[in-house]
Amino acid sequence: MISQFFVLSQRGDNIVFRDYRGEVPKGSAEIFFRKVKFWKGDDGEEAPPIFNVDGVNYLHVKVAGLLFVATTRVNVSPALVLELLQRIARVIKDYLGILNEDSLRKNFVLVYELLDEVIDFGYPQTTSTEVLKSFIFNEPIVVDAGRLPSLGPASLFMLSPLGFEIIQQGSKRMPGTAVTKSVVANEAGGRKREEVFVDIIEKISVTFSSSGYILTSEIDGTIQMKSYLTGNPEIRLALNEDLSIGRSGHSSYDYSSSAGAGMVVLDDCNFHESVRLDNFDLDRTLTLVPPDGEFPVMNYRMTQEFKPPFRVNSLIEEAGAFKAEVMLKVRADFSNTITANTVALHMPLPKYTTRVSFELEPGATGQTTDFKEGNKMLEWGLRKIVGGAEHTLRAKLTFSQDTNMNITKESGPVSMTFTIPMYSASRLQVRYLQIVKKSRTYNPYRWVRYVTHANSYVIRI
Amino acid sequence: MAPPVQSQRLPPPSQPSGKGEVGELKTQLRQLAGSRAPGAEDLKRELYKKVISYMTIGIDVSSLFSEMVMCSATSDIVLKKMCYLYVGNYAKVHPDLALLTINFLQKDCQDEDPMIRGLALRSLCSLRVKNLVEYLVGPLRTGLQDSNSYVRTVAAIGALKLYHISPSTCIDSDFPVALKALMMHDPDAKVVASCLSSLQEILTLEGSASEEASKERELLLSKPVIYFLLNRIREFSEWAQCLVLDLVSKYVPSESSEIFDIMNLLEDRLQHANSAVVLATINVFLHLTISMADVHQQVYERIKAPLLTLVGSGSSEQSYAVLSHLHLLVMRAPILFSSDYKHFYCRYSDPSYVKKLKLEMLTAVANESNTYEIVTELSEYAANVDVLIARESIRAVGKIALQQYDVNAIVDRLLQFLEMEKDYVTAETLVLVKDLLRKYPQWSQDCIAVVGNVSSKNVEEPKAKAALVWMLGEYSQDMLDAPYILESLIDSWDEEDSAEVRLHLLTAVTKCFFKRPPETQKALGAALAAGLADAHQDVHDRALFYYRLLQHDVSVAERVINPPKQAVSVFADTQSSEVKDRIFDEFNSLSVIYQEPSYMFIDKEHRGPFEFSEDIGALASGASPDNSVLPSQRVEASDNDLLLSASEKEDNRGTATNGSLSYSAPDYNGSSTALVSHSPSSTVNTAAVSGAPPTASISQPIIEIDDLLGLGPVMTTTPTPALKLNSKTVLDPATFQRKWGQLPIALTQDYSLTAQGVASLTSPQVLLRHMQGHLIQCIASGGQPPNFKFFFFAQNSEAPSGAGFFLVECLVNTSSSKAHVKVKADEARLSQDFAVLFQSALEKFGVS
Repeated sequence: MISQFFVLSQRGDNIVFRDYRGEVPKGSAEIFFRKVKFWKGDDGEEAPPIFNVDGVNYLHVKVAGLLFVATTRVNVSPALVLELLQRIARVIKDYLGILNEDSLRKNFVLVYELLDEVIDFGYPQTTSTEVLKSFIFNEPIVVDAGRLPSLGPASLFMLSPLGFEIIQQGSKRMPGTAVTKSVVANEAGGRKREEVFVDIIEKISVTFSSSGYILTSEIDGTIQMKSYLTGNPEIRLALNEDLSIGRSGHSSYDYSSSAGAGMVVLDDCNFHESVRLDNFDLDRTLTLVPPDGEFPVMNYRMTQEFKPPFRVNSLIEEAGAFKAEVMLKVRADFSNTITANTVALHMPLPKYTTRVSFELEPGATGQTTDFKEGNKMLEWGLRKIVGGAEHTLRAKLTFSQDTNMNITKESGPVSMTFTIPMYSASRLQVRYLQIVKKSRTYNPYRWVRYVTHANSYVIRI
Repeated sequence: MAPPVQSQRLPPPSQPSGKGEVGELKTQLRQLAGSRAPGAEDLKRELYKKVISYMTIGIDVSSLFSEMVMCSATSDIVLKKMCYLYVGNYAKVHPDLALLTINFLQKDCQDEDPMIRGLALRSLCSLRVKNLVEYLVGPLRTGLQDSNSYVRTVAAIGALKLYHISPSTCIDSDFPVALKALMMHDPDAKVVASCLSSLQEILTLEGSASEEASKERELLLSKPVIYFLLNRIREFSEWAQCLVLDLVSKYVPSESSEIFDIMNLLEDRLQHANSAVVLATINVFLHLTISMADVHQQVYERIKAPLLTLVGSGSSEQSYAVLSHLHLLVMRAPILFSSDYKHFYCRYSDPSYVKKLKLEMLTAVANESNTYEIVTELSEYAANVDVLIARESIRAVGKIALQQYDVNAIVDRLLQFLEMEKDYVTAETLVLVKDLLRKYPQWSQDCIAVVGNVSSKNVEEPKAKAALVWMLGEYSQDMLDAPYILESLIDSWDEEDSAEVRLHLLTAVTKCFFKRPPETQKALGAALAAGLADAHQDVHDRALFYYRLLQHDVSVAERVINPPKQAVSVFADTQSSEVKDRIFDEFNSLSVIYQEPSYMFIDKEHRGPFEFSEDIGALASGASPDNSVLPSQRVEASDNDLLLSASEKEDNRGTATNGSLSYSAPDYNGSSTALVSHSPSSTVNTAAVSGAPPTASISQPIIEIDDLLGLGPVMTTTPTPALKLNSKTVLDPATFQRKWGQLPIALTQDYSLTAQGVASLTSPQVLLRHMQGHLIQCIASGGQPPNFKFFFFAQNSEAPSGAGFFLVECLVNTSSSKAHVKVKADEARLSQDFAVLFQSALEKFGVS
């Protein structure tokens, strides 16, 4: 059980503060913030999510730049408290539409109302957005999104209300505000739009050796759902028919057992409480009655070999005394109907590098280059890369000392971040999303979106 | 991510400058108090909001108490809730004013809207004012019988709140009984869960004082209650499921079929997306199977995939919590994870606290088949821009080298690190090379050649410098420049801040002197002079000791200071296996995160329910005189005293262990800081030659392997002939005591007792006679239910008289039906076989 719950801004201000048991001395928020900020002095080491100061345990998660913190004096289950904190953040987001410092400050009374029901005397009661609805009387004050959510409208697929096939992109655009609307707020006109969103979000981790060989690769995926459907209709979600789960008898990194081309093999997965797996073994269909708000239907992990979306070549060579040249080449190995965005490459340079001059390819647009003196980091940003395209960056380095050693050992590895909408690295798909109809005229909007993020995309040199 | 430093002291923008605002609020609230004007409610809401926001940022608005209460006569539920929040926050500091609120709260408790009833009851119980408890009992009692489940849930937790304000009122009003009844009969799972959490807490707190409550507490763990809860597990919310699972993990089934029933029932909980549910389930599985080695191992295999999926799916904080538990399991049974090593590779995006755990796991799982790949990967991190991780990686490579027999390639890597010429890499590597040489002296030629090239000027860190100096002293015959490097270091004696380095300089230069006297004599003189003048006590004492020793007889001095060395076989773990076992017992708690048992960081009053290990801990620490079954406390203190700080404990352990293993060849190691400052009461010679620093003590390899696994006989690595015990063995108490003091703990294990066995264990004599039947003799016993303590011994039938003894300390707790066993053995390699015999004997207790 927890003793206190509070949310701190990045500057350390209390935005909400709730003491459930009155057993932790005053000033805990300050003690916590000081500790997090000055963890291990100038080592630059990040404070762990859980630590103990004078017999008080502090557990925190960072969400949207805010610190969600719980304190306790007892030997709690850390997973439980961290899950709870994360869940509180999600419930608040369900109510406010957008979770940030501004929206929280404007709605703190509503948040107190939520906290009153979510936890009693330190024991979690309910975190279901649905159940909480009947206890919440404040109307959310909706704040501006500021900018579009990371998925953006270009990333949308829409499922036809009639058939099961996927309509081509662009045939119907989703309004950009839809994902950020509150589950309780009514739209202008008092009517709620009936719709449900399904996002397949994959985080990929790949490490390439200096010769371009894939050392390790893994996909951590989530099928996330956000439902604005009234009356809790049952939903059927069909995945790839030949989806297979688990690799019995083999180490999960045993690539030799590649089962039939095109087949998606997951190492393991888990499911949300509401999911029923009655037909899962038969036809890979998940049945569920989605609760209101956002929740993960299924999390999965895959180490089966997959085609990495980007190939990167990197080279660093001496070019006379005190000089060297860097060449970075990135190639997008996916269909030209797909565009990756917010691509960035980082490469640590030798610590005696003093100056870098960049040379982009002729006609390059939407690209930025930078050299960060402090940590000797070369940064190359590309606003977007269309599938099949190839881009090159050249850089001339100037050193403060003669290089008598191997400069490749002093630099790298190159790491890359990107987001690819409409792309699923694992080839996992939602074949169809069926809503059990209440009436002939009931045709809610159904949106299925795919997105792949780089989690750790590392190219050694 | 960290906000800029200078902004920290700036007040937040919304903070009022002084008392003026609060005063103004007071006036405005007063004006509104009786107002029925249209829009008054909206105005009130705005004012209330302001008050709450001040409260949040820590401004004292308690002076508005009476105004807030006056304004609370409203039907607006949003206003009501804000008022409740305010009252709950300040009632404790204004007990007199809190009385004002009782009236309207009690009235609201009878409202026709169940939500108002629930809210009011919750607020009423949250006032935390002792002299108001009389007003709580009535509404609480009604609340527990309310027709609405929300109100009943609130009342169930309310009873716990009452207990915290006034335990006697809660107990005298029979609330525990009411809670128990409600828990077993309420149709709503939420009410059941609330009753359970309240009951657990009340009975645990009350249990330390009242026999009755402690019995009631035990009853929560009885089969009917456990099965009742388990059968409804799917009705509970995920949080309540965790509560139930936590309770189940402490349940001791009476037969093994129960274990499988429970596991089958809970199997699908391992596929839950909530990591708290999964870890709670795993905890149940691990505890249920702890004494069934093969099933226990299957559990490990089963939980691997779900754990790895959880590590990948949540936020980095959540994944840290899960990874910490995986870390614990990997450390216990590295062999079972040796093919999963790639999962423990660091990712670019991992925070440093995650990377650290992964490095430790990589170190643990390294074996013949994967070492090459792991070390290659670690070498990549060594060049990392993240200095902290680079250092940790180098240490990991070193640790792997010390674990392995085939170190050829690893030594090459380490030497390559030295060539990288990064100061922190060099520093870390030097320390490792030193340890490596102590274990594998045969590598000295290769290492010395490279170390000789390291300029002492580039080494700043004390640990690294000490390591370099030690190597200079140890291998001075092979390093041409050794005397001169040492001399130059001694020349700058006064600039050397670290006492550790100065101690090492003294020893190194003396050793160098024995090998190359003409070249070193001057430096030795200078070092002894500087040492004698040193302000640091240890340095001064060591210099004086060397000086006198050399004066007495140079050849004796050489025998003491530079005797032939024995290679260190295994470096001791920094954490004892007892501590590790305790952490494992506390699976799914903060202990796993901190890697410390809970008694080290939780105050006694806040320890959770049903902590058996605590009782055993108190027994083992020998704190209570009742338990001192051996005449001498000192023997026990050497390895049982859990209250000793870690370093003290390791020191003791090291001494005892070293003593027993190196009788014939006293092993002196140059890095010993304990050399001169060792306890004067023991004979100086023994102390001086065996005093080892914590990291350098020796223990038996077999301990490491078997004990960490904790998996019992299945995992035994070396097949040994079946052990037979001597049927006519004798051992007098004095010899037992001496041996107990000298021998290291060969293994520690927990066994379960059968229900019948527990039932018959009314006095120590019963078990004593039973074990005798299995050729295990008892030399001392004591205790009363539920805690007993025994010292047993047995002898290998093939050993000559006076040798081949097994000594056992056995703590039995009848309430948990567990036996905590420590085995020491003359022949440590046989201790696992002996443990099997012991376990089977114990398991038959009460059955035949």
